[in-house]
Amino acid sequence: MNHEGPLADVKICDFMWVMAGPASTRMLADYGAQIVRIESPTRIDTARTLQPHQDDRSGPDSSGLFSNCNAGKLGIAIDMRNPRAREVVVDLVRWADVVTESFSPKAMRKWELDYDALRMIRPDLIMLSTCLFGQTGPLRQIAGFGNMAAAISGFSNLAGWPDRSATGVFGAYTDYIAPRFTAIAILAALEHRRRTGEGQYIDQSQAESAIHFLTPAILEYSVNQREPQRAGNEDRDMAPHGIYPAAGDDQWVAIVCRNDSEWDCLCEAMGAAELRDDPRFATTQLRVANHADLDSIICRWTTGASAAQIEELLQARGVPAYQVQNSSEAWQDPQLKHREHFVPLEHHRLGHTTLEGPRAHLSRTSGKVRRAAPSLGQDNQYVLEKLLGYDQERISDLAVAGVFG
Amino acid sequence: MPILESRRVLDLSNERGLLCGQILADLGADVIAVEPPGGSSARRLGPFAQNIRDPERSLLWWSYSRNKRSITLDLEQTPGRDLLRRLAGTADFLIESFEPGFMARHELAYEHVAAINPSLVYVSITGFGQTGPKAHYADADLILLAAGGPLILGGDDDRPPVRLSVPQAYLHAGADAAVAAMVAHHERVRSGRGQHADVAAIQSVAMATQSGILAAPLHATEIRRLAGGLKLGPLNLPVIWPAKDGFISMTFLFGSALGVFTRKLMHYVCAQGFCDTATRDKDWIGYAELLLSGREPLSEFERVKEIVRTFTRTYTKAELLALALEQGFLMTPVYTIGELTRSEQLASREYWRTIDDPLGGSGKYTVPGPFVKFSATPIEYRRRPPGIGEHNREVYVGEFGLTESEFFELTRAGVI
Repeated sequence: MNHEGPLADVKICDFMWVMAGPASTRMLADYGAQIVRIESPTRIDTARTLQPHQDDRSGPDSSGLFSNCNAGKLGIAIDMRNPRAREVVVDLVRWADVVTESFSPKAMRKWELDYDALRMIRPDLIMLSTCLFGQTGPLRQIAGFGNMAAAISGFSNLAGWPDRSATGVFGAYTDYIAPRFTAIAILAALEHRRRTGEGQYIDQSQAESAIHFLTPAILEYSVNQREPQRAGNEDRDMAPHGIYPAAGDDQWVAIVCRNDSEWDCLCEAMGAAELRDDPRFATTQLRVANHADLDSIICRWTTGASAAQIEELLQARGVPAYQVQNSSEAWQDPQLKHREHFVPLEHHRLGHTTLEGPRAHLSRTSGKVRRAAPSLGQDNQYVLEKLLGYDQERISDLAVAGVFG
Repeated sequence: MPILESRRVLDLSNERGLLCGQILADLGADVIAVEPPGGSSARRLGPFAQNIRDPERSLLWWSYSRNKRSITLDLEQTPGRDLLRRLAGTADFLIESFEPGFMARHELAYEHVAAINPSLVYVSITGFGQTGPKAHYADADLILLAAGGPLILGGDDDRPPVRLSVPQAYLHAGADAAVAAMVAHHERVRSGRGQHADVAAIQSVAMATQSGILAAPLHATEIRRLAGGLKLGPLNLPVIWPAKDGFISMTFLFGSALGVFTRKLMHYVCAQGFCDTATRDKDWIGYAELLLSGREPLSEFERVKEIVRTFTRTYTKAELLALALEQGFLMTPVYTIGELTRSEQLASREYWRTIDDPLGGSGKYTVPGPFVKFSATPIEYRRRPPGIGEHNREVYVGEFGLTESEFFELTRAGVI
């Protein structure tokens, strides 16, 4: 594989699986980091089983989630229970700058691949462990997914309507936040090693990283002694601030007025100039207080109209508005197209496929998707021969010993 | 030695970008918030300490300005722009989150500043990106969540989609911006050259669709929202389940990876007398296919879920958490913020930190601790969030070499 880009000198031996961990090294792969991900030939990576599946046909290569999290990486399959697996892994650790893993805390120790063991092989090693709740504490062994960390970290309770029980955040919410902090921590540790020659161990609790997205609520509790409550789509500083029905099945438009002048523009766009003089809506505070009346007026206007047209009409007047987009609509969105958010790609088994591109655009060393996510064990030969310098005899010998499953 | 020690960051960002600078500050960089006279627009956003609307009391500002210093500077005045260019000449990073075109109109775009300091890493954070047909769209948290795909997936199916009540869009963007800054920095220390990173929140929030945004290009079924879960085709898949004293989040799914957990749970449910062995012994690995093909009626799935609900409702959140630990079930309690702050797990890891009262009082306030635990370079909280222009003299006179009379003149003219 062609390794160019701002991180071309970074080599990672990556044991991470499912979503949060792999999503972080995907970001680094976009910028040229060389990543060898190790999969079990017997225990399937959960991400390979999760939707969306191409053409709704589930198979080990068809998951868009897996493909999004692992594009640009090399993949090898090694059975870690095999006694000879360790010799391959040890060579990979010698090759790598960074070892990453996302098992529950006892797995690496069981294989004698924990930080204390690996730093004997490579004293300046950087190793990062990431799991839901971190390497220590009573919950360290809790297995599971980001929906569970989102619940116990306070996210789920704050999404929904005040008159009902919490609806919860969609999916494995902390898995969307933690990967950024994982990537930052890896790059930071590399910078520290560049300056000092010193490696280190990084213990990431995905919950602890994600809680940084709730700090205002935590300060409200700690400073004002007030328990934050879910509030539907209301906002304390803005009104209108809601999701309004439009024509069609599950069609909605988001409309927000951040100040009085946007409110004036909205009234004008609705052809309801008289609302500007309505004392119930004269100031932001009054609009927030009387938002129920306000919302029903706006609903009457949006119902039956096209969400995209309302968006266009309001944005032309500087009023924040957007169609609430599902995948089909986002796929056609001219701005996401302009940003090259969707990247077409050939996959050796799926044929033509699509995944999400790099999120940040760097002017001189732009990120790019270097190739599709690896099939199970796709790069065994390449990694052992080209990266580790094994001869064919040794590779065959390992295969006969059952190291590759 | 902090990782980014002696790296200087000019943080011109407002509510759209504060987190990016704070992450660099946590890594040890010298981050200087550059605020307009009167303070950043982020300071006008709540919640507010003691519910008093005051720019020094914005808890949003307090949340994402730790470890930063603050200076004021009026970019609308020529001397202010000149001063910013001088400051940028000495900086390693510049972060800004004005609407696209603002910096160019003030001759402070990347090209202008790079001419002075070619090694500068210049990070722009906006709703929709610097260019494109909707680059100039008006934005807000709710608007970006709608645009980037996560909003439609959350909420009750009989009501409009609903957001998390704590704004998230620009936190996703700010964290992506910090990744971009670190990538550019990594390259800069090797090449000596800076560059411009253009981050768009519309793309950052798409991360929260869990790749669901790919459904259309992959010709796959769109996920739809369901109170406390999601709908996939005809299947209603709950994630939030009732406990005796509240709710839990539980993964109750099927397939080769997750079905084994469901099987384990159903064995326990059966052993506790909540169902018969025939129910226990269903094919939990292949269950989704059975339902989708009609070989198992959806009504039977509804009956199974009712059994599981009866089971979870029998126990308290704490009992279910203990069961998760003991049996390896995929369940955790839904906590309030208060419950979160009392978490034994976080206490045992000494997670929480305090900041001194930014208003100068004697109080200390609880904030989230380091985003990861570094063994060699632990993150330190060195400074409470700064007041508006608190470090003007220290920075302008002490470090940038303005004379007292220049400083006095610029202050009097309202530039500082």
